[in-house]
Amino acid sequence: MSTGLLAVRGGLVALVAVSAAAASQARTDSQPAGHPEASALFPKIAGWKISDGPTTYTPATLFEYIDGGAESFLQFDFQDLASATYANAGVGRDKNRRSSHAANAGDSTASAKTEVTVDIYRHKDAIRAFGMYTQERPAGTTPLPIGSEAYAGPDYLQLVVGSYYVKLVQLGSKQPSVLRWFAETVAAGLPGTHDIPAVLKCFPERGKRARAEKFMARDFLGHPFLHDAVAVPYQIGAVNFRLFIVEGKDSVDLRAMVKRYRAVAKSPDPGADSAAAEGSATVKDPLNGEVVLQWKGRWLWGAVDQPGPEAKALVDELGRRLSILAK
Amino acid sequence: MPGWKYSCRQVVMSKTTKNLERRDFLKLGAGGLAAGALSAGCATMTSSQPEKALSPEAAPPPKPAPAAGPAESAAKPVGPSRRVLGRTGIEVPIVSMGVMNADNPNLVRAALDGGILLLDTAHGYQEGRNEEMLGTVLPSRKRESFVLATKIHLSTLDRKTGLFAKGTRGEEIGEKLDISLKRLGLDHVDILHLHNQSARESVLYEPVLKALEKAKRDGKARFLGVSTHKNEPEVIRAAVEAKLYDVVLTSYNFKQDHHLEVQKAVGEAAQAGLGIVAMKTQAGVYWDGEKQHPINMKAALKWALRDPNVHTAIPGFTTLEQLQTDLEVLRDPTLTDDDKRSLEAPKLVGFFCQGCGECLDPCLAHLPIPDLMRSFMYAHAYRNREAAQALLLDLGLPEFPCGDCGECPVHCAKGFDVRQRVRDVVRLRAVPREFLL
Repeated sequence: MSTGLLAVRGGLVALVAVSAAAASQARTDSQPAGHPEASALFPKIAGWKISDGPTTYTPATLFEYIDGGAESFLQFDFQDLASATYANAGVGRDKNRRSSHAANAGDSTASAKTEVTVDIYRHKDAIRAFGMYTQERPAGTTPLPIGSEAYAGPDYLQLVVGSYYVKLVQLGSKQPSVLRWFAETVAAGLPGTHDIPAVLKCFPERGKRARAEKFMARDFLGHPFLHDAVAVPYQIGAVNFRLFIVEGKDSVDLRAMVKRYRAVAKSPDPGADSAAAEGSATVKDPLNGEVVLQWKGRWLWGAVDQPGPEAKALVDELGRRLSILAK
Repeated sequence: MPGWKYSCRQVVMSKTTKNLERRDFLKLGAGGLAAGALSAGCATMTSSQPEKALSPEAAPPPKPAPAAGPAESAAKPVGPSRRVLGRTGIEVPIVSMGVMNADNPNLVRAALDGGILLLDTAHGYQEGRNEEMLGTVLPSRKRESFVLATKIHLSTLDRKTGLFAKGTRGEEIGEKLDISLKRLGLDHVDILHLHNQSARESVLYEPVLKALEKAKRDGKARFLGVSTHKNEPEVIRAAVEAKLYDVVLTSYNFKQDHHLEVQKAVGEAAQAGLGIVAMKTQAGVYWDGEKQHPINMKAALKWALRDPNVHTAIPGFTTLEQLQTDLEVLRDPTLTDDDKRSLEAPKLVGFFCQGCGECLDPCLAHLPIPDLMRSFMYAHAYRNREAAQALLLDLGLPEFPCGDCGECPVHCAKGFDVRQRVRDVVRLRAVPREFLL
């Protein structure tokens, strides 16, 4: 997934080109020049001390920490994980610390001690960190103004800042204010953008379900050739569907995706030639039913999940908003 | 995660559309699988007719455990594509679905329509989003049309020792199971696994056993299981010892150094009446860290299934193509000689030509072999076919390099099959640039 989904790069087709200055800034934001040492990621917090760690995991060892859950992180170009546990001053570390990955709403422990485990996952860039964050974000969360975005449960808080996806879990007593304090302190020390990916602003607001977008690094719609996508669910009246954007490495890559997709999916509406630099078509996907497609340059966008007239109108609007963004 | 949020529209998909999709799907290569897998008329395999598939190594092939345990049908094979999951009595297709990385409800639907029955997820997968995605698919289906297994991990499990902390509350299982059921939109799961066990003591830990038993007694789980991918033989034997578990979910693949020990423990458990589900059968997907040499997925899956004591396997898939591949194994799980050969570790000679030049003199066509090897590396290791083509075009090669030679006298010091690589890469010259991806 290139940084284009976060902020369009210079030299892009007119449809999605943004000013060179903006693109340059986004590149800087999404690719922090220096990655701090693991120990520098964990600030000193009054009244607390680090009782375990920091421990670092690499792509080769992440499985040791979160088992099969590592696979999703690797898809989003996981670079490394630094994990540390803080304990209240004077409280020793619980010997059976758990991974924040295991945290879920409703979890609780009988321990009277209070510990906070902070897992800082670093991805290749901001778009991938945000992408991984969206993989695990539940629906209906209330956003917290920490980093690019954050949400919390009774004993956990997850946030994303620049190329960092941070997961905090509280063991022992449940004190949301403590978790939030930790989160704000940790986020303040992390480099990188606090903006959400710019491409999300291209999706029309009407009917859009808030904070429900999801990035997919590969196998979008169940097809191995569709990569680097973001999909957003919509509901208009009783009608539900998704709008999506797929980003190719370049226009040649994008056209190849279109061509392969149309080889798999029948086209009741022949639409444009797949080899054309831009076009539209409606295809019959064997897995997903009718899918509306439009493409230009290295971008493919459309609607899936039984798109009706409302969805098709929004697909047109999505294209226009991409153009507006370009201007 | 979008998958579960926009499920409603998928549930209300018109019947006509669903049927059309199914036809499309079957045409794409899964044809006959659904019918074959679900048909009661499958060719019956009795215990006196062991499967032809053999272990690729010299060890004797595993033998099916005799029927034993509470259910008479336990461990009795019922056909090439279906086996009985131990004492549960559930007749399962030998290929099931590991749902962990799947986020497309339509893929789950296609799997179920294609003949898969058992879906394996876990409370913690994608922080719960995986169960929620399944919750968009399962409630609208007949309950008996699928078997749902989930796994619960206790927060007090020490990952290093595999032991539960002192004072671990078994109640956490019940609390998490209630959350899982809500996500799944079900009133019970078919199999509830104690997730990720690696020590006998934990498998037998009394507070946990009581909590599992309560879940079964309350009707929230029909059967109980334990999952393991470390110290598997110890865990499997502990599961037998506990006399509580009905199913074991274990890592089992051809690359495990101790696969013969796992095989032995699996046989003992099957004989005791436990259902055996194999996972991690694909053994990491690639032979090498550079991900240049993919493992033959079909062969790896067949390898696990050649053990008749393995009742089903749960390969994970996220694409239609992968589903089709797994369904092909469901149709024909025979481990062929070609399959066995493909599971032998390849000699990874790599891609990098050091330019020693020993190949130059012997080459009758006087080809710039080091440059050609570099082009091959660009194309296959770097996946930069544009660079590979550019280099080829600069070399001024004859129209048919290697074409006029009989036996190739070139022997590469690094072991490259020079002739094969040359013939492979020079074809790039004719590929239009816009197709070079």
